Amino acid sequence: MAELAVEGLVHVYREGAVRALDGVDVRIGTGERVALIGQNGSGKTTLVRHLNGLLRPTEGRVTIDGIDAGSMTVAQLAARVGLVFQDPDRQVFSGTVRAEVEFGPRNLGHRGGELAAAVDAALQAVGLAGEERTNPYDLGQSRRKLLALASVLAMRTPVLVLDEPTTGQDARGVERVRAVVASASEEGRTVIAISHDMRFVAEAFDRVVVMRDGRVILDGSPAEVFAPASRETLRSTFLEPPWSATIGDRLGLGSTPTESSVVSALLDRGAAG
Amino acid sequence: MSLQLSGVGYRYAGAQRPSLLDVDLELPDATVVGLAGASEAGKTTLCLVASGLAPRTVGGRIRGMIRLDGEDVDAWPMHRLAERIGIGFQNPGTQLSQVADTVFEEVAFGPMNVGLARDEIIERTWDALDALRISDLAERDPRRLSGGQQQLVATAGLLAMRPSHLVLDEPTAQLDPAGTRLVADAIARLAAGGASILVAEQKTDLLAAVASRVVVLADGRVALDGPADEVLADPALGELGVAPPSAVRLRSALEAAGLDPAVLGASRDG
Amino acid sequence: MAGSARLIGDPTAGRGIPGVLGRPGPSPFHRLNPLTKATLATVTAVAAVVLGGLIGPAILVAVAVVLPAVAAGVLGRLVRTALLLSLPIAISAFLVNLFFLPGAETVLLRIGPITATAEGLAFALEILARILAISGAITLFYLTTRPADLVVDLERRGISPRIAFVANASVQTVPAMVERAGQITAAQRARGLDTEGSIWRRIRGVVPIVGPVILGSITEVEERTMALEARAFTRPGRRTLLWWPADSAAQALLRWAMLLGLVALIVARIVGVGS
Repeated sequence: MAELAVEGLVHVYREGAVRALDGVDVRIGTGERVALIGQNGSGKTTLVRHLNGLLRPTEGRVTIDGIDAGSMTVAQLAARVGLVFQDPDRQVFSGTVRAEVEFGPRNLGHRGGELAAAVDAALQAVGLAGEERTNPYDLGQSRRKLLALASVLAMRTPVLVLDEPTTGQDARGVERVRAVVASASEEGRTVIAISHDMRFVAEAFDRVVVMRDGRVILDGSPAEVFAPASRETLRSTFLEPPWSATIGDRLGLGSTPTESSVVSALLDRGAAG
Repeated sequence: MSLQLSGVGYRYAGAQRPSLLDVDLELPDATVVGLAGASEAGKTTLCLVASGLAPRTVGGRIRGMIRLDGEDVDAWPMHRLAERIGIGFQNPGTQLSQVADTVFEEVAFGPMNVGLARDEIIERTWDALDALRISDLAERDPRRLSGGQQQLVATAGLLAMRPSHLVLDEPTAQLDPAGTRLVADAIARLAAGGASILVAEQKTDLLAAVASRVVVLADGRVALDGPADEVLADPALGELGVAPPSAVRLRSALEAAGLDPAVLGASRDG
Repeated sequence: MAGSARLIGDPTAGRGIPGVLGRPGPSPFHRLNPLTKATLATVTAVAAVVLGGLIGPAILVAVAVVLPAVAAGVLGRLVRTALLLSLPIAISAFLVNLFFLPGAETVLLRIGPITATAEGLAFALEILARILAISGAITLFYLTTRPADLVVDLERRGISPRIAFVANASVQTVPAMVERAGQITAAQRARGLDTEGSIWRRIRGVVPIVGPVILGSITEVEERTMALEARAFTRPGRRTLLWWPADSAAQALLRWAMLLGLVALIVARIVGVGS
């Protein structure tokens, strides 16, 4: 439904010589699930804010389905790229869960039955279906975060961008987020997520983009990015691969970013020997 | 010197149901106790109750008994408890006093409030900075540090009070991997040095690395309580909403596939 | 050396406080005790109002504002800041008196229906001199005194540590709130909130921004309060200070001298000496 292209993107913050983005080129196809990882300050947040126009390039450009994002306002881009912020308390303002989720789609002009359906589906997806009348501040912090996710899901944008969706979530919350990523992708939506949770990244995404100092330093599947050969590159930016990859490396199993890949590799080895 | 909670229950002001019920918990000397549980299970509430902030600052009603070295602390005012039990929170920024231009003054804030002698304050502050290996940050502006560094400064501020116990509520929740590493290493060093710490965390890998005992809360009650190795390998963790540590999960995955988990080697690292 | 005493611990007894704490200012004027500088500013401002005529306030500006500013190396910034501060009032006061002083007769200039008078000009200049003296005095104080120094000095003289804390901390809340409002605006725009449309749209857009600002601030205050209490903030009584701005008998004498001088000036004015 939407192809994203970032071409030679440079972003310099007004205050000074900080090149938050120093020439980024990335192409993301329809329905891809991409994880964006890197230390704070690597440019991840700056990059995603260019996708919906909150930030504009100093050089280079961002195109969505071939159209330059620079030619669209933030409100127009919001219909194409939904961005969920990390801190739900910086957006939640309604008195009820339902009203909060309706806000986004309403702004996009959805009404009536279409609106209701989108809201119902979103609440269902994050597990808040029974809490429509609840005051968001009566939900705990982690469920409020799921509410923020629902409020952007309901906008039904072809691209979904999540900023640290699993921070502060317990095991069930992480499962929910994982399910949301999977079903959005199945619907043909492109999902991009910034995350520190390497296990979540390895298991829920088919592509990992690693950033450092405003540049992309690795871009490939989890198996490629978390392979033993990439270990030093990751270390250079203080990242560690998921435990499964580390132990697979230690046991000489090749690249095993997920638990199931460790199991498969061991089974193969057993079968071979 | 031990901190002991017996039959403790707690209900927030205006809440329909209690957040904690019948909790027995002991935090002895030189022990790290990990606290795990799903969101809303009561971890934060337990931290607030153990430190005395609940009910003193937060309001609400408490039941049961809390004893510090055998003495009932029910009548103690908050500032007196603050000298014995330090509590740290998730958000690194909101723990800063905002009135200190240097890390040194930030860490000295607590002892200054207590009215100790100037030399004593200076000594304690340097000791706290040394314990967390941030003495080189002494002259920096705390507001300009990274999240992980700010967490260390906040913790140093607690240590400068020379508490007998530290309660840390998800100290790495808002930190990036580098910050998490910084804080986790610091906790491990403090533990090795004989500190008594109650640390609540979603990251069971971290608990596996530093805790000797683990308590799991569910719906305000203690569901599991025992040695860290046993509790973190307990199959009930999943239902209780807690993700087992990576090593445990991998062992289970191998077992489920008919493989021998011993092939992973003995390792508690996550 | 008077005025530069810093209570740094004895280096032979182990580490003292870092030298940067309570760092002395760059010039002797900076290093004066905050209360001394505050007294100077207040006395100058009041004297400017009390003194009659043009010469008095002008001399005051030269001696009590410009001279110290030069000594402190802040003259450039002082002029820019004081002018910025007082320009609107100065211009309107000047024009009002130039053209509309009641009872003025000597005409200087006629522009259509309004006339500029010589008496008006003289009076306008006097008002201007006073405005400049007051804004100059205040700006001089502001430019050469750090808020932390002033608050610590007051605390040493007896105000409650908790009040001192509030004074110090409140300055911080505004930038923090502005930053938070910025982030909230970004989040809501990402949900299609139109911040560029008609007035009506913009008014409707206020609630989604202001709501979280307020709610978030309340939550934050709760967290901050708990963190402070965990560090014995509410312990009654005094707390120990690590450093404080130096003071001296000479400065105390100077402060009294300035105050007495001001009283004498007021008395003289009331009695009718000089004008």
